[in-house]
Amino acid sequence: MANTQPTGALDNSDARPRRSRQLLAFVLDNLVWIILIIALSAFALFIPRFFQIGIFLNIVEQSTFVGIIAVGLSLTLIAGHMDLSIESVMALAAMLVALTFGTGGAGGGLVLSPSFLAFPVSLAMALGVGALIGALNGILVVRFEINAFIVTLAAYIWGRGLVVALSGGRSVYGLPDELRAMAIQRVLGIPFLAWAFIAVYVVFAFILNRTPYGRHLFMIGGNMVASNRAGIRVARNVILTFVLSGTLAGLAGWLLASRTAGATANLGIGMLFQAFAAVVIGGVSLRGGQGRLSGVFAGVLLLSSIQTAINVMGMRPHFTMMIQGALVLAAVLLDTAKNNIRRRYL
Amino acid sequence: MKRIWRIGAAAFAAAGIAVSAAGAALAQDKGTVYYLVPTLLDEFQTGSIDAIKKFMGDVGYEVIALDAQNRSDLQLNQVDDVLNLDADAVVLAAVDFDAIKPGIEKLREAGVPVMIFDRQITSTPSDLTSVAGTVEIGYTAAAEAERLLKEKNGEVKGKILQILGDPGDPYTLDIQKGFEEKMGAYDGVEIITHPAMQWEASNAGNIAQDQLLINPDIDLIFNHAAHLSVAVAAVLEAAGKKPGEIMMMSSNGAPVGLDLIRKGWLQVEVEQPMYAQAAALAMFADKIIAGEELTPGTYNITGLDSVLTIEDWGPNIKIPGAAITADNVDDPAFWGNLQPPTEPVSPVQ
Repeated sequence: MANTQPTGALDNSDARPRRSRQLLAFVLDNLVWIILIIALSAFALFIPRFFQIGIFLNIVEQSTFVGIIAVGLSLTLIAGHMDLSIESVMALAAMLVALTFGTGGAGGGLVLSPSFLAFPVSLAMALGVGALIGALNGILVVRFEINAFIVTLAAYIWGRGLVVALSGGRSVYGLPDELRAMAIQRVLGIPFLAWAFIAVYVVFAFILNRTPYGRHLFMIGGNMVASNRAGIRVARNVILTFVLSGTLAGLAGWLLASRTAGATANLGIGMLFQAFAAVVIGGVSLRGGQGRLSGVFAGVLLLSSIQTAINVMGMRPHFTMMIQGALVLAAVLLDTAKNNIRRRYL
Repeated sequence: MKRIWRIGAAAFAAAGIAVSAAGAALAQDKGTVYYLVPTLLDEFQTGSIDAIKKFMGDVGYEVIALDAQNRSDLQLNQVDDVLNLDADAVVLAAVDFDAIKPGIEKLREAGVPVMIFDRQITSTPSDLTSVAGTVEIGYTAAAEAERLLKEKNGEVKGKILQILGDPGDPYTLDIQKGFEEKMGAYDGVEIITHPAMQWEASNAGNIAQDQLLINPDIDLIFNHAAHLSVAVAAVLEAAGKKPGEIMMMSSNGAPVGLDLIRKGWLQVEVEQPMYAQAAALAMFADKIIAGEELTPGTYNITGLDSVLTIEDWGPNIKIPGAAITADNVDDPAFWGNLQPPTEPVSPVQ
């Protein structure tokens, strides 16, 4: 029997499931953003005085430090490793800058002439120390084939120890205005810190998605042996990834010193776990080879939104940690569910 | 040539060891006291190590400090270690007032006297407690808050943002208790309380930043440590506020707090008299280690009249804390000015 169904009708029936599949794929790819929008809407509706531009700017600004170290962590995870040292590297960079330029406490009070030089010199110091520790981590992982967990855990511990040793446990404060500019100045009404946070994500999203290094990183994390056989310079790329992770932590430390006008021995403590939470919520696979920085960006904003909501509501802070823990667990479960849905329907 | 270098280096090292051993022996002529310090991530605690070493050294004891890294389990492990190290006494600043109780009992059962520094423990007896009193710090802060609000608003009314330290730290909870107990007498005072998790400064800054948006009429911010005030002052500055526009006070008397007073960001710092607290332990150390009873009364501790009483938890010496303001900020007696007393302390006879 001849098929009498018009061609157009056939196309329509095909198009509908295709569109549904596209919609489903879109939802799965952007699930964190959808959760973020729902959370922000709920907070705006139910928490008095939450819905104001200043609060949203606070959320972005306060995300800066965890957000930037989360990028470094994402890079190392995508490459099939991890970097636990980021929090201590951030604190060390902040402390070095504060010890050099701070005028109070344990600060050395270095004055450069002209004074604006304090800005690039301190930035170079922070990035340099981060890159150095990153390079050390990378070399130990690649050349000496020591597990990244162990290498970076050691760096996490000795890095914090070095912060305490250098400062003698004392606070440093009184950074010059040139260094405080990042925390004080605004462009288009948006704090510099928020711009720095956004810029880091834009730059590294470009690097990951549009450069050979980025593509190779996904391949290395997906299958290191195959990547090696395909001629990708695995060792060089992995070391570079650790260097970038350390450098980003140094940048976060520099910004944190600017934000707090100095440094204390416990500065930034606890941010590693927040970064991990954001990365997992953002969909970066702990097995390597998968992840999108846009998801991590949303994950960081989600955590910061919850923290801000709790601040605004006056809820007991223990709930922050409980909610963060629940979110990480939910993210892992969602990830499994997403993979199942993809396999079955897409 | 290489051999000569090696011999020279070895001789140099040996001489160094001999000199340090001789020095240690000199300091140890009465014995060794272990100081169990809760954390090194706090300026007061690191400063207290130097102070206790100095004053105990004055009366002939060597002090070895052990850092509990803010972990009560680690501090209990340190108690077990100290029991095997022939300690003559232990100075304890507890991570957790309750969790350390079995450790104190274990030490005292083994004949090691326990002196409590700064963080009062009332749940079990000890041999001497030297404190300004954490609840009392709250009282002093409340008295200053009353004064500041009255000066600004004509009467004791207004909105206070209270930023605690880590909510798992009983030290900050005691200050809160004292502060709120006194301020509760004023119906016109609203206190908004938030903790800065892990005593981390940027957390305090974030809280202040959010609260300034939803409560722009905050009159006074009370931070439970001076290092938190630095981050809060930084946030106020970034928000375009001038020093003193929103009044601020904090506690513990760290150098950073005193500097903020000089710059006008902080109006009051409630100081813990760290030097006197440490000196008191040293002055009574001989008697405590000899197992002698302490006599209640008033003692002059580095110039401060301090009252020794016998409480349910043992001898307790209370040293008055002080409110530091712009008027007295340069007083060298405040530990935040980092000028330890040069006069050696003498044992109480």
